[in-house]
Amino acid sequence: MLFFFLIVFVGIQLVPTNHNQSSVISKTEFNNYIVVPKNIQNILKNSCYDCHSNNTNYPWYNKIQPASWFLEKHINEGKKELNFSTFGDYSKRKQKSKLKSIINQIRDDKMPLKSYTLIHRNTKLNELQKKEVIEWFTKLKDSV
Amino acid sequence: MKKTIYVIAFSILFLSACKNDKKQTESHDASMEETNMHQQDEHSSMDNSSMQGDLKSTTEKNSSSSEIIDAYLQLKNALTEDSKDKAAEAGNKILTAFSNFDMTKLSDEQHMTYMEIMENSKEHAEHIIKSPIDHQREHFEELSKDVNDLIELIGTDKTLYVDFCPMYNNNKGAMWLSETETIKNPYLGSNMPTCGNIQKKIN
Repeated sequence: MLFFFLIVFVGIQLVPTNHNQSSVISKTEFNNYIVVPKNIQNILKNSCYDCHSNNTNYPWYNKIQPASWFLEKHINEGKKELNFSTFGDYSKRKQKSKLKSIINQIRDDKMPLKSYTLIHRNTKLNELQKKEVIEWFTKLKDSV
Repeated sequence: MKKTIYVIAFSILFLSACKNDKKQTESHDASMEETNMHQQDEHSSMDNSSMQGDLKSTTEKNSSSSEIIDAYLQLKNALTEDSKDKAAEAGNKILTAFSNFDMTKLSDEQHMTYMEIMENSKEHAEHIIKSPIDHQREHFEELSKDVNDLIELIGTDKTLYVDFCPMYNNNKGAMWLSETETIKNPYLGSNMPTCGNIQKKIN
């Protein structure tokens, strides 16, 4: 039995996965589309972009299946909800909607996900960071 | 020695004067802010009174938006009853209603805006289907704007009321559409069912 699982475990390591990494920086990338102050940029890059952009900074365990599948699913779902790399492609209506959701999710501690911050300790936002992000995004939302 | 005492005394005086100055500017700022806020208040009450003047607005009579509006109203009513499940059910109806909508009758100009409204609304509906009630209400707020814009864009043959709840979302307030003249608040539900006022009557 144990041998069987070992075979399966080794076997699935050979299945290739798509890496969410792109060297193309599009014009509609959030950072190019909107002037984002450095402190906000850092927070976004550190705590959001892994799942909400076309560039994931992969952790070591991505080399191991089935962890890598799990990550891939998460990233796809995250990008479907909100992709900072194509933010400028959204209609104004959608942009406003998304900005509001960003504010609400951060305010309610729903994002970044608990399961993510548990492993990636440094991605959790502290109260000051939360305040900065919420204030800046609120201003942005009102100007869109 | 005397000199030192003078210097100390003088610097204490000077420092305390500085402090006072700072305090004064602070209180000045605060009072400025207050007057600003009053002005804003006056503005909003003025807006309200001017609203009352032309409360009625006529919208193009168009029945093609009816299925979407009916599904929206079903959602609104579910939220007034604090029913998450009924709201989710209505969310599904909204998706179907948008899929059934006949786009061939739209002009080119309307088409673009319609597509944006549809895309956005469907996303909100999807969230409403799978979320707890607080989150449903957040998406309902956005959906209300979309449906209101849709009515402005293509019209309706229904008589509707644009209502406003000033208390929702930490007193930021939010609007919704209703088929009845009586206020039944979908944002606060049974906690505060009658909070809100009519801002506009459509048809």
